[in-house]
Amino acid sequence: MIGRLRSGQGPTLLVATIASAFGVALLQVTGYLGSAMRADDVTGSSGTAALMLAIVAWVFIVIAVYVSGIVTANTVATVVAGRTRQIALLRLLGSTARAQRGAIAREGLAIGAIGAVLGLVVGTLVAIGLAEWAAAADVLPRVDHAWADPVVLSPAIVAVLITWLAAWAGSRRVLAVRPSEALGNAAARSQEELAGRRGRTATAATLATVGTLLLLLGVALGLVTPLGVLVGLLGGVLSFTGIVLGAHVVMPPILRLVGRALGTSPSARLAAENAVRHPERSSRMTIGLVIGVTLVTMFAVAMESYRDLLFAATEDRPDLRAGIEQMVSATVAVFGILVGFSALIAAVGLVNTLSLSVLQRTRELGLLRALGFERRQLRAMVLAESTALTAAATVTGLVLGTFYGWAGAQSLLGSVQGEPLVILPSIPWGVVGVLIVAAGVLTLVASLAPSRRATAVSPVAALAIE
Amino acid sequence: MEIQPSDLGLVARVAGLGKHYGTGAGAVTALEDVSLGLRRGEFTAIMGPSGSGKSTLMHIMAGLDSATTGRVWLGDTEITELPDGALTVLRRRRVGFVFQAFNLVPTLDALGNVLLPFELDGRRPTREERALIDGLVERLGLADRLRHRPHELSGGQQQRVATARALATRPDLVFADEPTGNLDSRTGREVLEILADASRTHGQSIAMVTHDPIAASHADRILFLADGRIVRDAQRTSAEEIATYMLSMERAA
Repeated sequence: MIGRLRSGQGPTLLVATIASAFGVALLQVTGYLGSAMRADDVTGSSGTAALMLAIVAWVFIVIAVYVSGIVTANTVATVVAGRTRQIALLRLLGSTARAQRGAIAREGLAIGAIGAVLGLVVGTLVAIGLAEWAAAADVLPRVDHAWADPVVLSPAIVAVLITWLAAWAGSRRVLAVRPSEALGNAAARSQEELAGRRGRTATAATLATVGTLLLLLGVALGLVTPLGVLVGLLGGVLSFTGIVLGAHVVMPPILRLVGRALGTSPSARLAAENAVRHPERSSRMTIGLVIGVTLVTMFAVAMESYRDLLFAATEDRPDLRAGIEQMVSATVAVFGILVGFSALIAAVGLVNTLSLSVLQRTRELGLLRALGFERRQLRAMVLAESTALTAAATVTGLVLGTFYGWAGAQSLLGSVQGEPLVILPSIPWGVVGVLIVAAGVLTLVASLAPSRRATAVSPVAALAIE
Repeated sequence: MEIQPSDLGLVARVAGLGKHYGTGAGAVTALEDVSLGLRRGEFTAIMGPSGSGKSTLMHIMAGLDSATTGRVWLGDTEITELPDGALTVLRRRRVGFVFQAFNLVPTLDALGNVLLPFELDGRRPTREERALIDGLVERLGLADRLRHRPHELSGGQQQRVATARALATRPDLVFADEPTGNLDSRTGREVLEILADASRTHGQSIAMVTHDPIAASHADRILFLADGRIVRDAQRTSAEEIATYMLSMERAA
């Protein structure tokens, strides 16, 4: 069967493994903490605390699995787009579209299963390692814990199902391939289908509008009661879901804007156009990173604002400040690491999709070489394309995260001093710096393989008839 | 002092050219001891059956591929041993290409494609070049298509954009590789007339690889290749005569 993923297999397996390992490790660690609390229970409150921990853990697992689903669907869709001719040939010879799509989905199921098992092993080992370290370092007492709790299977199972589902969703284009496309000489311009988008756009717009209104209501209520944060939280979840769902509308203009900022050299201009050549693909490439950067920034901004408020309130007690500082940094670090896994999954997807996209342009790269593009200019073009994608995602995430973080701090803390208080968003420059450096590294890493492949293309490739 | 190709009125020249792939029993010879000169201002067709080496010859003359033996000149520049970077700049400034599959950059509109060779060179067209481009656009009937992307254009329109791109920089030599291969006969004839006209009225040197006798009949001179060697060097002649000769070559093979 040609309808296989092949070039998408490695990254898909990696993504399934990371998502599963992350979920398993997180549940194992919270399970272990639960055991530790029960062993040390004097207040009888450990049940509630364990439940809270489990809920928080699942929030992060859902984010990671969601991002992994987007990444896998995008990988599969990109591979399918590059194989239109082969799929068309098989269709011409009598294979049904359903059979071809089924093969891709089954492969997704198999890869997901392998990734889940790997993740189960890796995640459990990491958790045991952490527990050993905690006991050795006297952070936690050594407690008996049943590592083989069936509950930890659940993230692994979710990872299998998501990979399967994502392979199925990503292979939708197989159905649109016409057998006659195997005969055409001109390369088929794969305009990604618009059907079904209108409904999604409407839902996204509604969610974003209602969510933003609720968020503002939460901010206003927060001036008189800390309960405003609950309304704000609901508004934040709804509006952000709207933005993620409407990524195909939100991201392309941002990519265009960033692309324009890259300059007017031919490399930069072509790169800017390439970054929005498949708007659907670019949106899915970047939205995972947007989610990661937004969440990290949000936590950091909210905690920074909280710290500044505490500092202002304890002006005459400088002795408390070290403790506050430590608590804030520890919280930001923990949340940062938890969200960081989702960002890592998104980064794997971006690296792979950019690589595939460039590979699928062999003929065009050969043309540019024939017309007089130097190797250096091709490298600059790939790097600029990579920059456009990561910069658009990072800037969007920083802006959204700052807004959400401020809204959270304002709605929770606006009434703490007994009178309405307007909190200015405090920018955590350290975290912002780390995010920008990480984005820079990702840009370079993502451009390495495709720029090597691009410069290896011979100009004769443009003259060859397919 | 060595005689320069331009002293002989040549725009491109190869001497003792050979191209071999592989070694030993599996070795393949694409070109064997080919020597020829393309005259400045002439429209030359290079013909031959599939596998005769005509594409390889063109790739080497255009600086896209390297020869195993022999020497190659473009204008007075010997390009035989030129490193990749210098070849790239040479292609950009002194060579134009028209391909069978049009090969426009899909993310640029028609005008962007025509101006691409200038941009790659980091400059804008001079007023003179701009006038030439406007003239080309006018003559090729592309004036109201300049803001269209390639996928919004018909095959004939795409090939006319590609032709404008190749002619716009007034290169020493335009290479056309089966330029009519993907076009219907009427559109194909239009493209050929444009090329012939550029040669006649502007003295543009053109080398066209083709196996279509009708296409070749538009050329001033026709070189026939078989099994990697030049077997005939003819002046302008009719499509019928070319077809007859091609058939006799096929029979002899």
